[in-house]
Amino acid sequence: MTAPAYYVYCIAESASAAQLPAESLPAAIEDDAKLEWISVNTLAALVSQVPRQTYNEESLAEHLTDATWTAIRAMRHETVAEYVAKRTSVIPLRFGTIYLERNSIEHMLTEKSRELEEIIEHLRGREEWGVNVYCDRAVLLSSITSVSPVLRELAERAAQAPPGQSYLMQKKIDALRVDEARAAVNRIVDQIEANLKEQTDDARRLRILKVETTEHGELKAKFAFLVKRSSFEEFRDAAERLAQEHQPAGVRLELTGPWPVYNFVNPI
Amino acid sequence: MSSSFDQIVVSEEWENTDVSLLETLDHVLNRGLVIAGEITISVADIDLIFVGLNVMVSSVETAQEVLRRRQMETKAE
Repeated sequence: MTAPAYYVYCIAESASAAQLPAESLPAAIEDDAKLEWISVNTLAALVSQVPRQTYNEESLAEHLTDATWTAIRAMRHETVAEYVAKRTSVIPLRFGTIYLERNSIEHMLTEKSRELEEIIEHLRGREEWGVNVYCDRAVLLSSITSVSPVLRELAERAAQAPPGQSYLMQKKIDALRVDEARAAVNRIVDQIEANLKEQTDDARRLRILKVETTEHGELKAKFAFLVKRSSFEEFRDAAERLAQEHQPAGVRLELTGPWPVYNFVNPI
Repeated sequence: MSSSFDQIVVSEEWENTDVSLLETLDHVLNRGLVIAGEITISVADIDLIFVGLNVMVSSVETAQEVLRRRQMETKAE
């Protein structure tokens, strides 16, 4: 390999790194390289060499437009971060953190050591779990009519009104129903967030990438929670209670994880 | 397990949906500690990547290929 660059996956404590010899680790981001730990005092960065002619800014921008190329690299990054996260407290770095020189990584570990150690300490014994909230619109709309006194009364009056008037009232009912359904979803989502927050150390509401319609309905909210391993059962039970409570309104919860703690490491 | 509650454990039920692939890619590409590398991918690029990934994920064959590679790599554990 001519002039290599260094791709950095995650940062752990040197003592933990010593328990995870490079030979035991999953595949690196590029086929022809192995993972290695670069250790400075108490901290160690997990890296692998990548060809500089591919991983320079210009060429990388080009490769990133190829979704398959990117997805394969991103999955390798993830596989490595997951492997380490299952075994020790680790800071996952964002995809695409690259250094040109080995000693720049050593310099970074030295310079940022205090912040990095604080993050590792904060994450110890904790995992990230995702909660996705889906809503089946048809089920929600019909449940709204049966629980809303205003809508029930309007429906009764519409049934007895003359045809022309009844038609206009029905239009009004439909519009009100949509408004009430929207408000109901927001209430449910807020309640899910508040309840699960109590079981966890931290929570983030995530952006929804695109409107995903699945067999569970439309994705309404995405959360990430920082959960102590020792209190995962309580967290899971709380999520299950919420799922049962809101099932009649067409709401479904999906629990994903454990993830490396991608959402709970702030920029330093 | 209640019928209203789905739990996807990332490493075990991996192959069952392509939404999981997108979900994973969202985690990896978008988040994690931003530390000043000498080359870092900027946020603007990431959004562009997602346009392509959405297309890719909807193309089942390509997504399968990515998943197969991942399973092979995970098996190596």
